[in-house]
Amino acid sequence: MADYREAPLASRPKTLDPNEYFNLSPNHRRSEEDRAALRANLKRQYQTQLNNPHRKELIEDPALTRWVYARANPYLTFKPTFKTSLMGAMFGVVPLFVLYYVFKTDRDRKEEQIKAGTLERKFSLSS
Amino acid sequence: MAGVGFRRWAQALSKGKGSGISALLSGCRAASGASKDGLPGPYPTTPDEKAAAAKKYNMRVEDYEPYPNNGEGYGDYPKLPDRSQHERDPWYQWDHPDLRRNWGEPMHWNFDMFIRNRVDTSPSPVSWSTMCKQLFGFIGFMLFMFYVGEKIPAYQPVAPKQYPYNNLYLERGGDPEKQPEEVKNYEI
Repeated sequence: MADYREAPLASRPKTLDPNEYFNLSPNHRRSEEDRAALRANLKRQYQTQLNNPHRKELIEDPALTRWVYARANPYLTFKPTFKTSLMGAMFGVVPLFVLYYVFKTDRDRKEEQIKAGTLERKFSLSS
Repeated sequence: MAGVGFRRWAQALSKGKGSGISALLSGCRAASGASKDGLPGPYPTTPDEKAAAAKKYNMRVEDYEPYPNNGEGYGDYPKLPDRSQHERDPWYQWDHPDLRRNWGEPMHWNFDMFIRNRVDTSPSPVSWSTMCKQLFGFIGFMLFMFYVGEKIPAYQPVAPKQYPYNNLYLERGGDPEKQPEEVKNYEI
């Protein structure tokens, strides 16, 4: 698999990552240690709360709270820029008019055909 | 949110040292739970704000990278790598094993997309381009062949069905007295 190529939805497996084998610099090792220290701290907090025999309530996860808050309140940090206004127009305003126009012309054409008697009513389950 | 507030108020009442009306009126609430500055805020501009945000999200300052500030509503939420939960170690003792996540770990903005029932970014057995080529090559080839088959049909030659007894003269209501005209459906 020496020719493995990454893609947006296909990452490089850890066993094919050159950093695993060749990166022995102290910086890299130190940063890995720091990350492990943060993880261990969180683990300790969680395990303390989990194994507390006097605990009656659910353990609240602040990371989850932050995530929910961030996802539910995007408009607090919203700024109308070119890109955001374009997105709003493309997804909110344009489909309204385009769909109205498409349906109207299609229905009108069908009505014309019915009036002229040229509509071919095929036996078809889809339309 | 109102439900949470009511629950805290009820908890404070049951835990509080004061009794009855005084506990009700003092308005104390349980001091646990997230405070306002533990929540996401606006985009951090100064390095101090960046450090504070990194600490808030339980990340290293070097690892913390907010989304670019172009008004798309991210604020100071960290930009984590787009890796699905499929890729995480299945044998490690996660705090939440089905989500393969530990308590307090910063969640990806699109976490609900990357759960194990949904989008999978794990390495594929063959490279992406090969997979695309194979799939779309096959589909394209089949579509092309069906199109050619529509344009140039190839089947056994057919002719209208030939009936005996002078094209079924009597069965078709012909006069039994009259002699029908001879119909020959063959050629020798």
